[in-house]
Order: sequence, then C-alpha cells, then structure tokens
Amino acid sequence: MIWEVFRQEKQGDYHTHCGNVHAPDREMAKQFAAIQHGRRKPTNSLWVVPKEEVGETDADDVAFGGTTDKAYRWATAYNPDVDHAEEVVESEGQQAEAEKQRGDA
Amino acid sequence: MSATLESPADLDDEEREALETLLKRLGDDEYVLAERYTEWQVKAPTLESDLALANNAQDELGHARLWYDVLEDLGYEEHELVYEREADEWRHSTLVERPFAEGDWADAVLRHYLYDVAEDIRLDALEGSSYAKIADRVGKIRSEEEYHLEHASNWVERLANGDEGAERLQDAVDRLFPHALTLFEPCAPATGAGDASGDEDVEETIVSAGFRDATLEEMREGWLSTVVPFLDDLGLETPASELVHFDEYEFDVTEDVLPDAVGRDGSHTDAWDDLREEFTHTYRELERSEATKIMDKPE
Amino acid sequence: MDLDTVKERAGPREFDPADDLPEEYRKAATRMIEFHANSEIMGAYLERPFIRQAPSIDRKLAFSAKVQDEIGHGQLLYRAAESLGVKTREEMLDDLANGDGKFLNCFHYPMEDWVETPMIAFFVDGAAMRRQATLRRTSWEPYAHAMDKVCFEEGFHVKHGEDILRTLMTGSRKEQKLTQEAFEKWWPRIIQFFGPTDDRSTHHDFASAVGLKQQSNDELRQAFLDQYIPKARKYGLEIPDEPRIRERDDGTYEVVEDDLDWDEFFTIAKNEYEPGVGQIDGRKKAQEAVEWVRDTLESNDMPAGNQPPQAAD
Repeated sequence: MIWEVFRQEKQGDYHTHCGNVHAPDREMAKQFAAIQHGRRKPTNSLWVVPKEEVGETDADDVAFGGTTDKAYRWATAYNPDVDHAEEVVESEGQQAEAEKQRGDA
Repeated sequence: MSATLESPADLDDEEREALETLLKRLGDDEYVLAERYTEWQVKAPTLESDLALANNAQDELGHARLWYDVLEDLGYEEHELVYEREADEWRHSTLVERPFAEGDWADAVLRHYLYDVAEDIRLDALEGSSYAKIADRVGKIRSEEEYHLEHASNWVERLANGDEGAERLQDAVDRLFPHALTLFEPCAPATGAGDASGDEDVEETIVSAGFRDATLEEMREGWLSTVVPFLDDLGLETPASELVHFDEYEFDVTEDVLPDAVGRDGSHTDAWDDLREEFTHTYRELERSEATKIMDKPE
Repeated sequence: MDLDTVKERAGPREFDPADDLPEEYRKAATRMIEFHANSEIMGAYLERPFIRQAPSIDRKLAFSAKVQDEIGHGQLLYRAAESLGVKTREEMLDDLANGDGKFLNCFHYPMEDWVETPMIAFFVDGAAMRRQATLRRTSWEPYAHAMDKVCFEEGFHVKHGEDILRTLMTGSRKEQKLTQEAFEKWWPRIIQFFGPTDDRSTHHDFASAVGLKQQSNDELRQAFLDQYIPKARKYGLEIPDEPRIRERDDGTYEVVEDDLDWDEFFTIAKNEYEPGVGQIDGRKKAQEAVEWVRDTLESNDMPAGNQPPQAAD
C-alpha cells in the first residue's frame, strides 16, 4: 500500500507534499516516513495519507480561476495611485505575485 | 465557414439587425440567469456549494459582459443595455427570469442543467461564426461552461437519489420544462416592438449570414435528445414524447406546452418586472447616466 | 499541557491539533474564532442585496466576488475553530441560526442603500484587516493559517470599498450628501468595532496571555484611526462632532469613549438589538429552507468509486 507523505519543516509552517512510502498500515507508514523523508531535511511533523484516498482534479478537467477576465477580484484592479494601509499594501503585493504566477503558468 | 466579418461596416441593414438580435439573445440570457444565481449567495445548502454557485454566477455575468461588449460596436453602451432598456426590449428566455422559492435548490440545479445543455449546443453552433468577435469569444466562454454543466449534472443526479430530492426535482421539471423550451423560440427583431409571434425572418438571417450555423429547430432537437433521456434515466418525467424514426430516437413536444410569455419576443412573466426594478434601483436612485467600469474593455 | 506551560510557550503559531491543550485554552480559542467566522457569514448576509443593486456589471461582479470570499473565509475559520475539538461546524452554524452565536456589532445594523456600502466595504473591512494582520501571529496554528489566506484576499475588498467611496464622493452633489449622511450614521459603530477599552474588555487578559490575541483593542483602534481618519478627509467626508476626537500633538487621535452608546453596544453583544435579531432570523430561515439538501447528501448512496473513505488502519 502506498502512502503520500507531507512534511512540515517547523512549527507554524504548512505541511507540504514531499514524497511517499510503501507500508502495510498507518503505523508502519509513519515509521518509514520518519526515516525516508525526515532524516535529513528539517522536520517538525509528518502526515501520512493513503494514496488511494487522494482525489485529483487537474487543469484538463477544470479551467482553474476561469478563462474570462476576472480582474475585478484582484486588488491590483483598483486605485493604483493612492496610499494604503500597510496590511492592504502587503495583501496587494501577494495578489500581484499570484497573478504573475498565473500568467507565467 | 471562417470568420470573415470583422465589423458592422461589413454588414447590410438586415444583417445588422440579425446580429443585434442574436447578441441580445445571448447576453440577456446570461445576464438574467446570473442575477438569479446570485440570489443563492449566502443561502446555498453548504458553505462549499455557496462558493461554487457564486463562481458560476460570476462566470455568466462575465459572459454577458462579453456579448454586451460586442453590442457596443453597434452603438450601444452598458448603461443603455442594462439600466435603461425597457422591460419588453429584453430578449432572454423566460427560463432564466423565473423566481426561486426559498430553499428550492432542486429548481436551481435543474434550471442550471437545462440551461447549460442548451448553452453547450448553442456555443457549438457559434464556434464557426462568420462574425469574428463572436467566434473569438466562444472558446473562453466554453471552457467555463464545461464546469457548469458537470456541476449541474452532478447535483441533479445526487438529488434524484433521495425521495424528497426526486419529488422536488419532478416539481421543478413540471414547472421549468415549458420555460426551457422558450430558449429555442424565435426572437422579435431587437429594435422593433415586441409582437406576439417573434420573427422567423430575423432568425433566418442569423443562420444565412453565418452568425450561427444551426437553426433553432436543430438546436431544440439536439437539446431534447440530451435532456429527455438523462432525466428519464433518473426517473423524471417530461412532457416530451418519444418517436422512433428509422431506429433513431427523436423527441418532440407539442406547441401547447409553451408558456404564455416566451421572453424572446419581448413578452415576459411578472417576475421579470420585479427583478428589473431591483437591479436598476441604485442606478435610478442616484440618477446615474453611465455604468462604472473597473476592468479594461475585452480584447 | 497545563495552563502555565501554555502561557510560557504562547508564541506565534505555537499550538496545533497534535498538542494536548487545556480546556480553558480550547474554549477561549473556539469562542474567538467562532465569533470571527460568524461575523464573516453575517457580514456577507448584510451585503448580499447589493450584488443585485450594484449600479454596473463590473461593480456587481466585484460585490459577488467579495461576498463569495467572505463565505470562503467562514469556511476556513469554522474549520480552524472545529480543529480545537470543542464544537463542530454544524453546531456553530446552528447556534448562529438560533441566536446563540455572537458576531461583530456592525453587522447587527440594517443596510439599505448603496451609499452605505463603503461604510462596511472600506471602513469596517479596513478595521477588520488591521486586526486580521495581527492574527497571523496568533498561537493557534490553524487560525494563523486561515488568516494567511484571508489577508491575501482581503486587500481586494478594502480597495474595492475605497473605489466605491471615491466614485460616490466625486459624483453628483446628491451622491456626496447621501454618502456623508451614511458616514455620520455608521461612524460611531465603526469606532466601536474594536470593542470597549482594554480596562473594560471581558476576555482580553486571558486571550492575550495565551497568545491568541496579539494586540489589544486600544492599540488596534489607535492604528485604525491614524490610518482612516486622514483617508475619510481625503475623500471629502467630514468627521462627525460626536464622538469627540482629539488630535494629539504627535498627530495621532484619541476618542472620548463616553460619547459612544455603550448600552446599545452591549444590547447588540447579547443579540438583543432589534434589527440584528431580524437579520439573524432571516439567515436562519434561509439555512432551514435548505436543510433537506444537506439531509439528502448525507443519506445518499454515492455512485460506485465515489464512497467516502473507510478508516484506513
């Protein structure tokens, strides 16, 4: 049985997918994952999930984020020439970055 | 046919009228349906389904925006089309204007399904449009509509699986099927006053000028042959009758199933006046004379 | 883990569902995150009529997207609250429907006209964003993660709200006058967004001691006023005479708190303010009307290959 492994580097971070292990059950999967995926890279926590329970939908199935203009849902579409509170500026920066990544994809 | 017509200057008067009629038919359907979908925001069965329906509402509104933008080439502006047009100058099918009873999710997903199958067939017939801007926009719209159709079919199947869901779906079929048939009724010319019967001439020009490569009758047949067996498999009865014709199944519906108001000719149900009153409220109240744009003009 | 250890360790994103946390922490965190989640839902409920009433297609799209985002934030936050193991999402939504769930003061007031929309979409959202930015350092990790996404999305809300305000205040005289009136009505409520001063706040000390809350009401109110009073003036809004606001020598502002109606505030906090009760009941009706759909989904035999997973041990 195959288990997908998600690693969190340090407390407060997100668990992100880092690989998988073959194991007969959850206990063994955790033990194997600790060595296979946690022995070298900094690790605070690991999740193991049975591969067969993972559902997938990909860009062939769905046009993620749509194909028509959705500029209205991005901060970058509004009032570029005004000063904003720092938290608004930070959010807009993140959105600009995400928009750029979408464009590059 | 490849897209050879780049601008209204390439068209004669009759063709211009046909193009305008077709675009109103397309834009008005999407706009009014989106208005109805947004009623489910904050009222859908779960938080997740709320997000999904809101997405579809925005997609439809975005499609309306694209079709209305082509109408701008014919001299219209958004505020004239959406906020200042008289009720009987709208050309949408009555399917999209019907109100929802509170909590009637079966109505929402069935309407979604009936519309999206028709939309799929219609976009298919527009893909090779002779009018360049129409052909260009179909692709973008289509990939969003694919999600809608799957979403709607999934919901209809799940609801049909439960007793209460099946009963409510059957009620919705009984109520909505006649209105869905108006999707394939001929439009009165966009500029003329609504007369009771629509206008076959305008519809003929839409096809002969190559704006759309299927007739209403052909699209209606395609729609019936998809929708009726799908609903039938789920145990839902429709007013369509099945004809066996050289080993092929065809479906037909008698004329008397059509509702009194068919939308396409400018006749609408009372619900339409209330809806229009609401969405034009702020514009009228603030005595606006234009519609605020946030996004750039579509390419 | 005992409470003293929690207080000792209480840093940003310090605790997660794998930690054995004392009941006091779990209950306080649930109360705080549930309040936040409920506020997203009731804010969305208040704003939803303006999707329809928006005076252009682009504005309508933006309003729909904003209301959609808020429901999405509710989804994230209920999950962050649920992961504390005290209440399920269903229990929290039911409590919100039956009037036991608490939410922000501003969302208990009715909103009737388009000119009122920037009062929520610019000022209240601006205030909320100030607060949420600090909560990315809360000690409950799932809450902090929810805040990452909320803050990412929220910049659009505030900027859209500001754009509506700008359009109104550069519009006709009538629009400007109506907008000023709406501002006068909402301004005291907006200042009360941050709650009573620290010395009168009931839950502050504990939430702060265990790292759930990262800044006090007073600090947040201060930061908000310093940022948004100049903004209001920039667009030509006049700050009402009451509550009295004194400008200090360093350019920061101080509110005379006694000028605010705290009786009304605490009536609202108990879910007893009349228009708010109507809004709670309106949402309850909507939630009950689709109960049958949730029941159908739960009792459904899914098509083959689509069953929910069995325990995989």
